[in-house]
Amino acid sequence: MNAPSLNTHPTRLQAANGLRTVASLAVLLVTVAVLVWGFGRTGERIAVLMCVNVAAVVSLMVYCGNTGIVSFGHGAFMTVGAYLSGILTMPVGLQRSALPDLPGWLAGYELSVLMAMPFVALAGLAVALLTGSAIARLAGASATIATLGLLIIVHSVAVSAREITRGSQTFYGVPRVTDLLIVLIAALVFVLIARVYRESRWGLFARAVRDDKDAATVLGIAPSRARLIAWSLSGAMATVAGALYGHILGAFSPASFYLNLVFAQVVMMIVGGMASVGGAVVGVIAVTFMQNSVRNLEGGTTVLGFTLPEVFGLTTVALGLAILLVIWLRPQGIVGGFELGPGAGALLLRRVGRATRPADAPVPVGEMQLVAQGLSKNFAGVKAVDGVSFEVPTGRITGLIGPNGAGKSTLVNLMTRQYDADTGTARIGDIDLTYLPPHGVINRRVARSFQNLRLFSGLTAYENVLVAALAAGHTRAKAHAVTLRELAAFDLDDIADMRAENLPYGARKRLEIARALAQEPAILLLDEPAAGMNPAETDDLADRLETIGRDRNIGILLIDHDLKFVNRLSARIVVMNRGQKVAEGTPEKVRADVRVIEAYIGRGRTARVAGQN
Amino acid sequence: MELLLQQIVNALSLGGIYAMLALGLAIVFSIVRLINFAHGELMTFGGYGIFLSMTFGFPPFAALVIGIGAALFMALAMERVTFRAMRGADVVSLLIASFAVSEILKVLFQNGISARPVPISFPSSWSGSYQIAGMTIGVVPTASILVTFASLGTLTFVLRRTAMGMAMRAAAEDFEMLRMLGVKANRVVAVSFAISGILAGIAAVIWTAQRGSVDPLMGFFPVLKAFISTVLGGLGSLGGAVLGGFVVGALEVLTQAFLPDRLAPYRDAIVLSAVIAALLIRPDGLLPAKTGARS
Repeated sequence: MNAPSLNTHPTRLQAANGLRTVASLAVLLVTVAVLVWGFGRTGERIAVLMCVNVAAVVSLMVYCGNTGIVSFGHGAFMTVGAYLSGILTMPVGLQRSALPDLPGWLAGYELSVLMAMPFVALAGLAVALLTGSAIARLAGASATIATLGLLIIVHSVAVSAREITRGSQTFYGVPRVTDLLIVLIAALVFVLIARVYRESRWGLFARAVRDDKDAATVLGIAPSRARLIAWSLSGAMATVAGALYGHILGAFSPASFYLNLVFAQVVMMIVGGMASVGGAVVGVIAVTFMQNSVRNLEGGTTVLGFTLPEVFGLTTVALGLAILLVIWLRPQGIVGGFELGPGAGALLLRRVGRATRPADAPVPVGEMQLVAQGLSKNFAGVKAVDGVSFEVPTGRITGLIGPNGAGKSTLVNLMTRQYDADTGTARIGDIDLTYLPPHGVINRRVARSFQNLRLFSGLTAYENVLVAALAAGHTRAKAHAVTLRELAAFDLDDIADMRAENLPYGARKRLEIARALAQEPAILLLDEPAAGMNPAETDDLADRLETIGRDRNIGILLIDHDLKFVNRLSARIVVMNRGQKVAEGTPEKVRADVRVIEAYIGRGRTARVAGQN
Repeated sequence: MELLLQQIVNALSLGGIYAMLALGLAIVFSIVRLINFAHGELMTFGGYGIFLSMTFGFPPFAALVIGIGAALFMALAMERVTFRAMRGADVVSLLIASFAVSEILKVLFQNGISARPVPISFPSSWSGSYQIAGMTIGVVPTASILVTFASLGTLTFVLRRTAMGMAMRAAAEDFEMLRMLGVKANRVVAVSFAISGILAGIAAVIWTAQRGSVDPLMGFFPVLKAFISTVLGGLGSLGGAVLGGFVVGALEVLTQAFLPDRLAPYRDAIVLSAVIAALLIRPDGLLPAKTGARS
């Protein structure tokens, strides 16, 4: 059977994403059905709690899974949701006796649970936007600890604000919801929202930032904005989940939403697999079954003649051991790094025939140039780049060569704002790139590749390019068409549905250039695109660059150590050594320049080489 | 004036505890990328070490040494049993694993010893106070400041002047490179855990001397503050951790002293919000760690 054509990939991807959503929903539905029909009243009670946990953990996953940052702060949102919904729905008479000092603007609404939900969600969104403005700027472990800080803040406020929450005493009188249908529908809706978000533009952006922040920034994705959107959606969802949880409990205290609950929910997420919605659902189911089995042992029981003592907190120990085992044996969780269900390359979808037409080649770029003037950068006294000026005009390839440590990559990093320049400008027309935010450079149509590969390892090859096309502002349909065009231009048809981290080296190198081109830049900065390639691959790459440069009239700055490769392609070559520009001109002129030979092979040899000529 | 000086003593003594805990966290983090949530349980275990040895009739000073030894032992055991098998796992996995260890240990403390605080009675002379220039200053805060600075000073000496210390600082910047140079990785990691254990043990001694009791959550709450301190200082930066600890300690003492009564219960919330606001301005912390990342 032939491999399906690349042009059917968009349709297959759409179908796969639909099936994956169905898979998560089906797993949940089947489990609930088994519980209800297999275990009667007990089963139904377990199912109710499980559905609320699915809602909460799926909310958690919307942030954690898409940004790669574990949050302990979602207990804070659940606290807000539970108390707010409790106050809004409490019968007026009961409220007067339970909360006599409640501020007037909060008192006496007596809404139905359903009516209160929009207010709860809005409040959650407000809290998320407020806290996210700080937390979304942080990444990795710092962000995790900041979310822990949020949990402590909200917990201590809930304990202190007695007139609203009754402090650490039990908050009672919350109308109880024990109807399985309501929580099941809520869980299903949450799964649906999480799935739609994950595959949406902003979900892809967040995952791109998760996998490589610098590469995402260069594509024009502002990392803190992508994280803020994930955090806000996730926070609003968690607030609603917290409200539901509160209505199930009926009576609770701030401790109900503190570290024990947070720990259990984080365990559920990690056990199932943090990176996917299906993982969250499976994790909740697995942990729910484990908790219910262990809970029976907690009160002390007799097994095979041995009487086990009563152990308070046995479920906590079991949760702890479960997570340790998962991290030892299967760090990606039960479901693994992929979403539950088939991918675009699955056999099941081979028959899908509807093709998308690749986009036409972009309109050739007009005359313009990127002008670097006097760019300098010091690192702790070392002049990495020292007053370098040159131009990269459209319509031709400009080579940039020099020995290791000459400052070539630093120069590119200055122009694309990975580093702040100490002095100098990099202008396109009237605009100085060095004053733009790092994610704003691409708006001036300057794209780049990186010396050491920076692909989004958790996305497929296809999605890597798709993200770039979406980030360039294309509609979804256009972005798919552009993606097809670039993948075909770099002969990446066969590996479109493979994850970037599993690609062979040469394909990764080509994919990175395809990704940059999907943004339809006017100027493309390529940092050692041929490094590590064999001669045949290098020739192939040179052919492709030549064609693309000619067809689209873009300007390419080509950095490489393979001088044959650079000489073949470049109309002009700039030579750097020790941070300074030492020569510039046609390849022939540069090759004959004594300073260039000196830069590469040292002063002592120069005389001899020059003598031989 | 007297009030101010007393508050400075309090701030230094509380900040010193946070600084030692934060430094222990930072040393382990900088080498194995582990944010050790179970660090608090090292401190708690140290506290129980003191409690048990006093129950068995050891003199108070011996009990303090045993307490520090207990925290050290627990740190090494934790590294050997749990984290060595996970070396090289990503930050998130390690963090969650340590969270699990922390939860398990807390349950063990609750069931094995007591869920309630157990009292430790030190000699009454320790809880006295003395007068300098008309000011009353407690013995315990003074001793804790002295001990803190002595510990931090010793550690600075060890890190800067000894071969192992230099290996550890090198490991903090590039652990893989250090291994290739032939330094035994396991030993460097074990020593970093040992140092964090000793610092947690010293913190336990000071904490129990001030409060006079131990409970399963004793270490957990100060360590939460220490986490915040490490992030405030700059995660992975040793100097930043110490600075962050003192800043958080000072903020707490100041809010305690000067906050109106009505707002007093919100103290933790106010201090933490201030720290998070500070991160808005300096996302990498007050003294960011050096990184060798290139693009």
